[in-house]
Amino acid sequence: MESFPLANADAVVARARSGDPEALEQIFRAFQTPVYNLARRICRTVEDAEDVLQETFLEVAKSIRRYRGDGSLWAWVRTIASNKALMRLRRNKYRDTDELHDEVMPTRREDRHLRMDLEAALERLPETSRAVVWLHDVEGYTHSEIGAMMGKSVSFSKSQLARAHVRLRGWLGEEATA
Amino acid sequence: MTHLTMQQLLDVREPASSPGSQSARRHLEACQTCQAELERLHQRTAQLKALPTLRVPRDLWPEIRSEVVVYRRRRIAAWGGVGGLALAASVALFLVLGARTVAAPEEESSRAIGTAMAQSQMLETALGRYRPERRVTDGRTATVVAGLETRIAEVDRQLQVAGMMRQRVRDEALLSLWRQRVGLMDALVNVHLTHATNAGL
Ligand SMILES: [Zn+2]
Repeated sequence: MESFPLANADAVVARARSGDPEALEQIFRAFQTPVYNLARRICRTVEDAEDVLQETFLEVAKSIRRYRGDGSLWAWVRTIASNKALMRLRRNKYRDTDELHDEVMPTRREDRHLRMDLEAALERLPETSRAVVWLHDVEGYTHSEIGAMMGKSVSFSKSQLARAHVRLRGWLGEEATA
Repeated sequence: MTHLTMQQLLDVREPASSPGSQSARRHLEACQTCQAELERLHQRTAQLKALPTLRVPRDLWPEIRSEVVVYRRRRIAAWGGVGGLALAASVALFLVLGARTVAAPEEESSRAIGTAMAQSQMLETALGRYRPERRVTDGRTATVVAGLETRIAEVDRQLQVAGMMRQRVRDEALLSLWRQRVGLMDALVNVHLTHATNAGL
């Protein structure tokens, strides 16, 4: 999911800059799947992911003239998408504290013997932890980049990642040997 | 023996390791349990990256496109100057086309000159209000604008010359020149208008 091929990216961007809707559509077609996946993994519902996809490409249309072409087009689109997804998490005021989460989904004893599917485990993580895991481990953002996007510190991002992995390890049936 | 925490294992994986990760690395070299834990971490990350790609459930482009169009219209409407410019351009073009279909009779020539002068003036006023010198423009637009402005200056020079001619020749020349000037001003306004419309996206 690193990048999707867009033939003649420079020419397409130049046309999109001058307001050509077909060029914008080409950019949308090239990147809709990775943007949707990022959004869907960070947000909990299909509807939220669709909204993020829509908001991302409206933003791309609005600010394509400011895209300097110094990084890859996908890196630029991905950062817009990440910010929109995180904004949606904040806007929805998802339950985000571990305490609340544990209250809703108590970790029962037998859970440790059930090998949970990784996808289900990811879904079960608190919002912020899930976003950090996805942005760091899959999308490859650094802790300082994630911290900046979330308006938090580097150590916040690091500790969210560690907590997420402790949980995932437990749910996936990998017993701690410590 | 205290094993490494998840945070320490993650730090070991980071490209720029913190000072604390030196001792963590030493522990890791000696401890098979932590080596296994680190391997689990590697595998979990690899599995996350390998999760199946989810398909976009429906085509969202039509909705995005219409939102983009709405946004563009609002931006253009918000630029009051551009609205006036568009109106001036369409009115002037209509007048110029109308004037060309009817041959101006001799006695009407001074009135026709007056009309052309008024059209030219209207376009110039609209362009003045738009203040193109304060707008960002691209290289291609700037080249076209410069070309048109040069031609307008040339017409202005010829208008001065025509003003010194005898009455009958003068009116014909003036009418022709003023109409040229309206055509050029109209083209100039349209260049700015096209650029503004595109920039509005
Ligand atoms: Zn150990």
